[in-house]
Amino acid sequence: MNICKDHIGGLIFLLLSVAYGYYAGQIPLLPGDEYEPFHAQTLPNVLSLMGGVLAIALLLTAERGEGSHLKLRGYDFALVAKLLVLVVLFALALEWVGFLLATIIFLIGGYWLLGERSVKTLLLASVPFAVGIWAILTQLLDIYLAPGALFSQILGG
Amino acid sequence: MLDGIFTGLSTAVMPFNLMMVVVGCFAGTFIGMLPGLGPISAVALMIPITYGLDPSSGIILMAGVYYGAVFGGSTSSILINAPGCASTVVTSFDGYPMAQQKQAGKALALAAYSSFTGGTIGAIILLFAAPALASVSLSFQSSDYFALMILGLTAVAAFSGKGQVIKALIMTVFGLMIATVGTDTTSGTPRFTFGNIDLIDGISFLLLAMATFALTEVVMTVLKGQHKEEDEQMDMASLGSMKLSRDEVKHVAPTVGRSSVFGFLVGVLPGAGATIASFLAYGLERNLASAKEKLKFGKGALRGLAAPESANNAASTGSFVPLLTLGIPGSGTTAIMLGALIAYGIQPGPRLFIDNPDVFWSVIISMYFGNLVLLILNLPLIPYISRLLVIPRPILIPLILFFSITGVYLVSFNTFDIQMMVIITVIAILLKLLEFPMAPMLLGFILGGIMENNLARALVISDGSLEFLWQRPLTLGIVVTAIVVLCIPPLLELLARKRGKNTADERGPEVAVSEGEG
Repeated sequence: MNICKDHIGGLIFLLLSVAYGYYAGQIPLLPGDEYEPFHAQTLPNVLSLMGGVLAIALLLTAERGEGSHLKLRGYDFALVAKLLVLVVLFALALEWVGFLLATIIFLIGGYWLLGERSVKTLLLASVPFAVGIWAILTQLLDIYLAPGALFSQILGG
Repeated sequence: MLDGIFTGLSTAVMPFNLMMVVVGCFAGTFIGMLPGLGPISAVALMIPITYGLDPSSGIILMAGVYYGAVFGGSTSSILINAPGCASTVVTSFDGYPMAQQKQAGKALALAAYSSFTGGTIGAIILLFAAPALASVSLSFQSSDYFALMILGLTAVAAFSGKGQVIKALIMTVFGLMIATVGTDTTSGTPRFTFGNIDLIDGISFLLLAMATFALTEVVMTVLKGQHKEEDEQMDMASLGSMKLSRDEVKHVAPTVGRSSVFGFLVGVLPGAGATIASFLAYGLERNLASAKEKLKFGKGALRGLAAPESANNAASTGSFVPLLTLGIPGSGTTAIMLGALIAYGIQPGPRLFIDNPDVFWSVIISMYFGNLVLLILNLPLIPYISRLLVIPRPILIPLILFFSITGVYLVSFNTFDIQMMVIITVIAILLKLLEFPMAPMLLGFILGGIMENNLARALVISDGSLEFLWQRPLTLGIVVTAIVVLCIPPLLELLARKRGKNTADERGPEVAVSEGEG
């Protein structure tokens, strides 16, 4: 049997609806709620049912033919994964080394990943930009940006 | 109504708000010109900025960005045959051939004039239609609201293109599911939080919109390897004259008028946005043309350029009608604006007209200003704005990523949100590869909370019976409309199949739309 995009999508949503429905049953109800016409579980139950029915409908009506298969060739997944890891690192860096350094690291990392190699460009496009944004936020808009936890641990905060 | 117009005028001409229109149009044009980023991404990127502004200034900024992005999209369609968004795909059919014939200047000017006329006619109709509709919708009860939201959600699915209806419905349900995460508003019990404190408040609209429309779109360009492509150099010397002769104006004037009114009407329908309007207007114009002129379509016909341009701008305006009067967005972009309004604590809908007349009217008035700004500022500046596109992609992409991430972070100051964005982006990429549309999900997410509240109220009033769906004629009418809207696409498909294969080779608008959206 040929598996096409619609089959994959339908299966994913069928599983999702089942899991959603299972957890909908775990939602704690207030005492006496089970006699009410509408409570916290009502809509989730309906949604889980609708999701399941639609997913099955998608599985049944799935279009087969040219272009219906999932093609992964030609996509640069490795680069995207690296970029997303960089974003996660950016979140960690925000906590540990503060906004300014984290931004500089993120931008240089991003430029580097996308193929910019000249050190001059890397620094010129990141440091002034990060300092500028930081200055606008802290000095102009008076937004408090927490210093990195690393510094407060070393210097004491 | 004259009162209202003056209220709106006085709010809209405040120097700060005027500046917002100008800034919005510029930013929108710039973002819209970047291939891959359309109006939805542009408006999503603006949300964090609007959080610091007044509601009316914020929504004015967003409206400006919306217009600017549509205009920017047509510019890149004409100049480099790379439509920035789906609604300007049709523009490139006749716009790019004109540019190849060294008439790029004329094409740009015609696009701008048609957009302006389309937007203006749209704004004028909006001026009369919106208050009238708002006064009718004042008599709505919770059952009517519930039915309306069902209509809004099904309409978005129904207009999503051939073979996409079930997928769009699934995404709507998915959006509704995401909306149930967090504390239940009626009983106060946590739902689907899995003991995670960061999920107690639910998933924020800003986070979801930024992750699905800004982050994902940018990452998709990287995924497809578009960041390596060098932009085709726009040869400014070959722009040619930007003037239209009197004969040419006479030639396209009826087209522009027709397409504007037509585009506005399509835009008003919930779910049908600028993209569908532009395709339909182009098709209509081609059918109306004489046999001799029909041959010119696709090779640089003036009418073929004017029709989609006026229609998509008029439709952008038209999609504000359901947003402002019923609180139901007519397109993905207005869905984001709806979310932003709700974040301000403003409930769009019939009460908006009465509770916040300044917001209501200033949006309508500033829409007109937005069109004016596009015409007198952006058009002459196009050669300079397009120079900004010379910034190499490897520099531009991390910057856009940075803006979309910090936009979310600077509102919550919680790094968990950034991790959450990455997770949502990964899911969104997968769904995009499987060709699921994203806009219905966002719409379901935004309307989910309000829909549940109205359903709860209607059910409690009618003591748990579903009678409320057919007891009031108004509710019944809306429900029937929703069912009809949902049944039309499959029926049409069946009819087409019965009619045989002789029509199969003609590219219907739906096919083209689903290609354009993909």
